[in-house]
Amino acid sequence: MKLVEDSTKQLLRSRGLPVPAGGVATTAAECAELARELGGAVAVKALVAAGRRGKAGLVKLAASPDEAKAAATDILGKEIAGRPVERLYVEKRLDIAEEFYVSFAFSDRAPKIVLSSKGGVDIEHVFETEPGSVLQADIDAARGLRPWDATELWSQAGLTGRTLPTVARLTAELYAAFVALDAQMLEINPLAIDPDGKPCLVGAMMEIDDDALFRHPELAHGPSRHASENPRERAVLEANRAYPGGDSRYTELEGDIGLLVAGGGAGLLQHDLIVGMGGRPANHSDMSPAPGTEKMEAVLDAVFTNPRARSLLIGYNYLQMAPCDHVVKALVKSVARNKVDATRFPIVLRLFGPREAEARALAATIPGIRYLPPGSSLEDGARTIVTLTEQVRENSKQVAGQ
Amino acid sequence: MSILIDEETRVVVQGITGNQGRFDTKLSLAYGVNIVAGVTPGRGGEAVEGVPVFNTVRQAVESTGANAAVLYVPLLGVRDAVIESVEAGCKVLLATTENVPRHDAVAAVAAARNAGAWLVGFNTNGIISPGKCKLGGIGGDDPDAVYPAGRIGVVSRSGGMSAEISWALARGGYGVSTAVSMGGDRTTGRSMSEYLELFEADPDTDAMVIYGEPGTSNESQVGEAIRAGRLSKPVVALVAGAFQENYPAGVSFGHVAAMIGDSADTATAKRRMLRDAGAHVVESLDEIPVLLKGLVPQTAAPRP
Repeated sequence: MKLVEDSTKQLLRSRGLPVPAGGVATTAAECAELARELGGAVAVKALVAAGRRGKAGLVKLAASPDEAKAAATDILGKEIAGRPVERLYVEKRLDIAEEFYVSFAFSDRAPKIVLSSKGGVDIEHVFETEPGSVLQADIDAARGLRPWDATELWSQAGLTGRTLPTVARLTAELYAAFVALDAQMLEINPLAIDPDGKPCLVGAMMEIDDDALFRHPELAHGPSRHASENPRERAVLEANRAYPGGDSRYTELEGDIGLLVAGGGAGLLQHDLIVGMGGRPANHSDMSPAPGTEKMEAVLDAVFTNPRARSLLIGYNYLQMAPCDHVVKALVKSVARNKVDATRFPIVLRLFGPREAEARALAATIPGIRYLPPGSSLEDGARTIVTLTEQVRENSKQVAGQ
Repeated sequence: MSILIDEETRVVVQGITGNQGRFDTKLSLAYGVNIVAGVTPGRGGEAVEGVPVFNTVRQAVESTGANAAVLYVPLLGVRDAVIESVEAGCKVLLATTENVPRHDAVAAVAAARNAGAWLVGFNTNGIISPGKCKLGGIGGDDPDAVYPAGRIGVVSRSGGMSAEISWALARGGYGVSTAVSMGGDRTTGRSMSEYLELFEADPDTDAMVIYGEPGTSNESQVGEAIRAGRLSKPVVALVAGAFQENYPAGVSFGHVAAMIGDSADTATAKRRMLRDAGAHVVESLDEIPVLLKGLVPQTAAPRP
């Protein structure tokens, strides 16, 4: 979850880190008032969780409350990613003597620090033009980042004198915040030093690890990944919240082949195979093991009520733990509830493993269903559903033409 | 031979008194796995399926000589459970937990790597050296149906695909030396190429099959290892998820790790990179045994 600037800075401030004074405004008048309180010279920024706001004209410097008001009027009228800017962050401007860059993120297996003595500008541009001035290092997560590790790195980056220990100490504190806040990414640009040698975190962006949000209830008000505009996607998300066990995922796409696929890997491969054979999936899905069938039924209901869907492939990897009839029980319920006629809406099952005999017997109670014979490959499942869906599509064209 | 686990492996099960721990322990014992101890704090002195339960991994290791640990531990306890087993001296660990918070995952991985221990996972259903040992639920109640013994090494980002690959191999007359579901989370204890280097050194493995996905640099490291000459045995690679390239970056369709970050992370880019490095890239399972026939002898009786 990406945080907006005021949340990021509040979190850093609450850990005792030096952040400029600032506040949130929603109108030009509020902005001017805040500017007055902050001493006149302020930066006015669109409060959106997006990078490169400066380039998009969403950050303006003002020397007085009047200028701040004009800047606010300008920015509040703009759009970013199709949404209007509704809130502004108004921040006291500092005298800056030096600017640096530091960020924390992850490589596949370890936390990673990136730092540069060239702060205040786009780091990717710095890396392109002066790659030597950008340092990267993996951090041993079992040990953490000690102040002397940071001193070493900043000294390699060219820092000397009083600035070196100041910036190094702050860097170690930032790493501690990165860990404590379960951040996935924390970027400070610029990390500024004022003419008196005092440091300040002027630009700050942070993203929290979604998998760790459960231990940060204080952040739970933020925009959730559990939100969707699509009613069928929303119903699946609601089922995830309502029932225990692993979550189901359902993402609607533009095609007509409904997919109930599981096992992150086999699901990806089947989708590739279908696309490669000329088919177009109506959705993607993924199931995690859950004690009940409700979350699986929610995905099946979504497929059966999606107006674009003409067919359904239930394609699992060879099951090693979960019983096959668990899936078919969910199917029988959802087929009945949605009054699906499998002779007109093809349903293909590729489902092998524990309790397969029971699953086959139960599936046979649905007229028209195709349960692929033992030994059929993932390719066989993909080919069958693509062919059957093609026939349904042709038939419906003929009907429409009559 | 095989990699990481064999007849000598003595297993301690952390969380043996939970549902999953109990269930997998029963199936593993039936397969002949040497499960010598279980651990659940506060339940020391009990037994599960005849296996003695201890309060700490250290006690279990001291009493039974366990050298490998399987962890059935909920999200909140998994980092500490890994570190506990590492400190107790276990050299192979398997962590089934999925979607582990990144800071917990990297701390556990660092502890294991610093101690020279091999952590399989996170988000794995197991590792199997057929006929010798298995850790985790891999193979379910009938491992022989999917995992006959042979001379092909399998490393997969997905537990389901490790089964599909091994089953496709079995249908084509090949068996596996060891098959490992290395973990589907972004952070895993070891990278794909580290597993392949073990297979490279194993005299009883003739070739390797990998299953990769979008996201992470696991596959690009395999390409580097082939180019650098660290891998000379044939590597057959299946990389799924190309369809995702038709959708905006950052949308995840399966494993959270299988999310495209930049253009080098896509399935298409990974296939191209592996092919350029000298791997044999396939797009479907059925191609794998056909391809292997030109490279290595069959290692198991063909199956219907």
